[in-house]
Amino acid sequence: MYRGREGQWAFYLHRISGVAIILFLTLHVTEISSSMFGPKWFNALLEFEANPIFGLGLVGVAALVLYHALNGLRIILMDFTSWGVKYQRQLWYGVWALYVVIGFPMLFAMLGHVFGGGE
Amino acid sequence: MAMRARRFEEAKRLASSNLELAWWIFMRVSGVLLVFLVLGHLYTRAVIFDFHHDLNYDHMVKVMSSVTWKFYNWLLLFLSILHGTNGLRYIIDDYIASGRARAWVKIIVYTLVFLVTAFGTLALWGWNYQPME
Repeated sequence: MYRGREGQWAFYLHRISGVAIILFLTLHVTEISSSMFGPKWFNALLEFEANPIFGLGLVGVAALVLYHALNGLRIILMDFTSWGVKYQRQLWYGVWALYVVIGFPMLFAMLGHVFGGGE
Repeated sequence: MAMRARRFEEAKRLASSNLELAWWIFMRVSGVLLVFLVLGHLYTRAVIFDFHHDLNYDHMVKVMSSVTWKFYNWLLLFLSILHGTNGLRYIIDDYIASGRARAWVKIIVYTLVFLVTAFGTLALWGWNYQPME
């Protein structure tokens, strides 16, 4: 239907971001849940994660999540409206417009946490 | 087998079983809920909260003392795990041609997902978070 064009990129990006997100999710749930082992373990783990590399990793995951969320809404419009499939390419550009509008404030807030001094 | 339907009517026609159609619908319904739950999670835990400096055991004690946040996180955990695992199932069905390998990959993935979900549920509901002395 739209091989090699925007629709196929949307599809592959949705899959790749989905796989990356579920991988992160399993790590994230394990890491946060391990707080039940007590303050000594959990605070030591967080000290290890204080490296900005982990902070940048979170920014990256948030970027993938935002794409997956917005493109997911595009898929739902394609599935349940009479016009969604016809305008799927325009909808994808809409996804990127919203991505920039929502993503930039998020990006700056998160980078501010990672590279700011705290307090 | 997973479906590549583009429209709801098409999905109804192509579904190999009622269960498969139910999963197709679940992906859309959980997807909409997750947009709000996940963006809410990102906003409260990564945008207005300084996750890089202020996340610590004391913060966990505070979050875990709220039944509302526990329920929010539990719903988030279950919906995202089910949505993500079903998505992985579609991808496994699409790219692993050998039936034997596919079965093994699924067994490993489902086992890991079950363990992680159980661990998260235990932390949320089966543990009493005590403040630091």
